[in-house]
Amino acid sequence: MSKLQELEKHLAQLPPAHPERRAAVVPAMQALQTERGYLDDAAVEEVARLTGLSATEVEELATFYSLIYRRPVGRHVLLVCDSLCCAMNGGKQLLTRVEQMSGVSLGEVTADGALSVLPSICLGLCDRAPAALVDGEALGPLDEFALAALLQRLQGED
Amino acid sequence: MEAVLTQHLDPAAPLGLEAYRGVGGYRSLAAAFDLKPEAIIKTVEAANLRGRGGAGFSCGVKWRLRGVDAAKPRYLVCNLDESEPGTFKDRHLLYGGPHQIIEAVIVAAYALQSERAFIFVRGEYATGGNGLKRALKEAEAAGLVGANIGGSGFDLQIDVHLSAGRYICGEGSAQINALEGRRPNPRHKIPRTSIKGLWGQPTTTNNVETLVNVPHILLNGADWFRDLGINGGCGSKLYGVSGKVQHPGLFELPTGTTARELIFDHAGGLAEGRSLLGFLPGGASTAFLLPEHLDVPMDFDPVAKAGSRLGTGGIIVLDDTTCPVAVALNLMRFFARESCGFCTPCRDGLPYLAQILAAIAAGEGQVEDLALLEDLCEKIAPQSFCAFAPGAVMPLTSSLQCFREHYAQHIATGRCPFGKANEGGL
Repeated sequence: MSKLQELEKHLAQLPPAHPERRAAVVPAMQALQTERGYLDDAAVEEVARLTGLSATEVEELATFYSLIYRRPVGRHVLLVCDSLCCAMNGGKQLLTRVEQMSGVSLGEVTADGALSVLPSICLGLCDRAPAALVDGEALGPLDEFALAALLQRLQGED
Repeated sequence: MEAVLTQHLDPAAPLGLEAYRGVGGYRSLAAAFDLKPEAIIKTVEAANLRGRGGAGFSCGVKWRLRGVDAAKPRYLVCNLDESEPGTFKDRHLLYGGPHQIIEAVIVAAYALQSERAFIFVRGEYATGGNGLKRALKEAEAAGLVGANIGGSGFDLQIDVHLSAGRYICGEGSAQINALEGRRPNPRHKIPRTSIKGLWGQPTTTNNVETLVNVPHILLNGADWFRDLGINGGCGSKLYGVSGKVQHPGLFELPTGTTARELIFDHAGGLAEGRSLLGFLPGGASTAFLLPEHLDVPMDFDPVAKAGSRLGTGGIIVLDDTTCPVAVALNLMRFFARESCGFCTPCRDGLPYLAQILAAIAAGEGQVEDLALLEDLCEKIAPQSFCAFAPGAVMPLTSSLQCFREHYAQHIATGRCPFGKANEGGL
């Protein structure tokens, strides 16, 4: 059973006005994003239907959370930390290099649809600075060579 | 000191239930259920366990003040939403030993007589969060979580909430809004969330590092815990050292260990030929300390006496190649972006500060800018709604005091003396 189906089953057991219906909004957005890659307008409507919120309320939350994407992203999303410890250890240059090497600006998707690169707040990887996170996998300390190998892997495997 | 909290951590292969039990895991449950909840709270208070999330408030006092007669249901929230730059201790706890966290949550929930607990995990830690969910399933299957745990008559449901980003969700009342599916703005301080929190019910929020100490205190006693500390501190502490050091890392050491020992003995000191400019003792939202403060014990009261905060215990080190203006700019951009936007002084004030700092960093600052920055900091902090903006301006206010000549030099010469004028960054 997919996460979305599990969630639907759970919510079906709750009375309509149960407070936990609303509380499911973040898991619901995550489940739909897992299926569709990002939260399109139809997904926002779907989350609204599941949670009993209005589409506007869902939109407010979808645009608040940095890990919920309202625009298409690549099959892999590379989060590169731009906070202090990484920036002090070459993170800023890394962000510039990743744009050059991937050929897209931060927030855009590569032509093959494989990759998006987004800047991120501190990833809690200051002991591995400069650090990044891709598909839940922590990377660091990253240098230009490791970055090149990573981009090749992510863009080459699909 | 022998490792207590990190003894059985292994991020490559975290212990499963049986292996964790094999090293003494979940032993504290029987010890807890033999005691009255009030007795556990008394022990935690006697141990002087202070909140590891940054505020340093006594955990035992917080629990006692919640009161045994608080309305039911009561909730416990374990805060694992670590996002403070320079802080990575909770990540080590989560990825290295999920069962230790579950054991701690059970004991704390029993002490508080909470029938439901939430572990709030930041979205960037999803892989660790999924490991925690698997561990929770194991614990439920073994009857350690659920109805009538171990025949004690105590029922507990634990939910792992995987969040989806944003620093502000780590603030206690914002976290409760997030759990309810509302926009995670902090709530008004009154009524306190300990009285009216999640779904209007009494809710206790503790940082995960605080909680994982509790089983050990219960098994070994309050005196044992107090004796773990040095220089007046109590217990062990997960310190992080990062920034311009040779070996950044996490170090479990006696509370009260000095910054000098942390930076030079444990984190390998600075690179060859460099000297220390200063350091942030406990994450981004603390005031700078200087080389003259190296012998200050990294404990709540001594650091406060030195003019800063222990915060999360995540030390960020600056050496003499680090431009302090660029550091301030990086921090202010972080806080400006992470403001929840609810109140105007914070939402509009922090980007204004960042804009002025960017001009100074790029060599386009004016002499009057320094007074303007100070004036804005003084106005923003007390007028904002929650503790976020006061925390955001704290490193800037202290940076302006500690490194004033660097700011003046940027303005006077029209360039960054570190040679990064056009970068405006590090």
